[in-house]
Amino acid sequence: MTISLLKKVPSSTMQIPFANEKHATIAKQVIDVDRELQPEVVKRTLTVQGNILVATFTTLTVRLARLTANAFLENVDLVVRTIGEFGEDAERVPSSR
Amino acid sequence: MPGRVKKRSPLKAPERPYIAIGLEGSANKLGVGIIKHSPDGSVDVLSNVRHTYITPPGEGFLPRDTAQHHREWALTIINDAVSKAGVSLHDVDCICFTKGPGMGAPLVSVALVARTLSLLYNKPLVGVNHCVGHIEMGREITGAQNPVVLYVSGGNTQVIAYSQQCYRIFGETLDIAVGNCLDRFARVINLSNDPSPGYNIEQEAKKGKRLLPLPYTTKGMDISLSGILTSTEAYTTDKRFRPNGPSAEDGEDIITPQDLCFSLQEHVFAMLVEITERAMAHIGSKEVLIVGGVGCNERLQEMMGVMASERGGKVFATDERYCIDNGIMIAQAGLLSYRMGYETPLAKSTCTQRFRTDQVHVAWRA
Repeated sequence: MTISLLKKVPSSTMQIPFANEKHATIAKQVIDVDRELQPEVVKRTLTVQGNILVATFTTLTVRLARLTANAFLENVDLVVRTIGEFGEDAERVPSSR
Repeated sequence: MPGRVKKRSPLKAPERPYIAIGLEGSANKLGVGIIKHSPDGSVDVLSNVRHTYITPPGEGFLPRDTAQHHREWALTIINDAVSKAGVSLHDVDCICFTKGPGMGAPLVSVALVARTLSLLYNKPLVGVNHCVGHIEMGREITGAQNPVVLYVSGGNTQVIAYSQQCYRIFGETLDIAVGNCLDRFARVINLSNDPSPGYNIEQEAKKGKRLLPLPYTTKGMDISLSGILTSTEAYTTDKRFRPNGPSAEDGEDIITPQDLCFSLQEHVFAMLVEITERAMAHIGSKEVLIVGGVGCNERLQEMMGVMASERGGKVFATDERYCIDNGIMIAQAGLLSYRMGYETPLAKSTCTQRFRTDQVHVAWRA
């Protein structure tokens, strides 16, 4: 029932470019762990194409699309800032302890 | 006594130093701590940084705003903890984070950062139960062997005892937590939330002169607190209530906010002491360990001390660095389970708002 409803609303897609494919993949993996809060009315698909994180949302209503996109972007922001802060340090070859 | 047979601890001494970072953000405190376990068995707190989200008087902290606070401060606090510890994130063995229980949005915010760090540095994640974190840090700091644990904070009120690799809940609150009860009353009388509402209640209570009658609601091993809160609130609409202290023409029979703080504390703490004493009698332990944010209340520690000394026992409590939510306790409990071979795979690193203390397999204790 819900699935047939979902199909009626066109899905929306977002493309978020990262510095490289590794960072885009990290963002995908990190965000993919948490399920959507209302999985029956919001469908989220994350894929990585090169250095771009592609997010596709299929939602029951436009309101839900806005809420989902908002929450998603907040999460992306946090992950991006974390990568920005620690990405370089993580790449550095660790000195032996 | 049957419990006296000394079992060998399943936790082997580490063959090399182990370092863990712990990220905590289940409520309005964001904490990051780094801990080190050395081969000689010693445990060093390398750093323990915390930032608290403080709301204006009369307001509590809401999940969304709290999550926003954690997102803003997470990187600053992590950097601070790492530089204070003088280690690199390359040196840590595992990244520990609070899996639950707590408020959903703040938990998820911190978990996102933990996961990102784990993937960036290629370090395993360890999800930790917040309550077990409190207990393990309390045991480590105080050196209590097999205590009855009273875990009192803003979200939890439990009397816990260890048995067969499980922290079993002997009694708990049937409705709201004791910290919640105190915090909400602080809001009613408009006390500041800085540094914490509970601390300000404690200071006000010291000036209280009257013990007003309130309900005393222990239910077997459990307690109920919401009715006491309502009854205390009801006194603020009493004709004798003076929110700004007594005026010149007032007689003896008046009620001040200080009297209410005092009465509320005395009643609530007396109930906690009663259920703790009953748990001690059940398991035959003479040690009490108080953990959780309310645990740094000195009046509670004092009342518990009187009870314990009457039973020939002892109270163990820590100060605000380890009582109030912190990252180091997550690192400690996480590292203990990591040393027992436990890791949380990325796909399972979700958070859960409900995660009871007795759901955790305490593999590191005999």
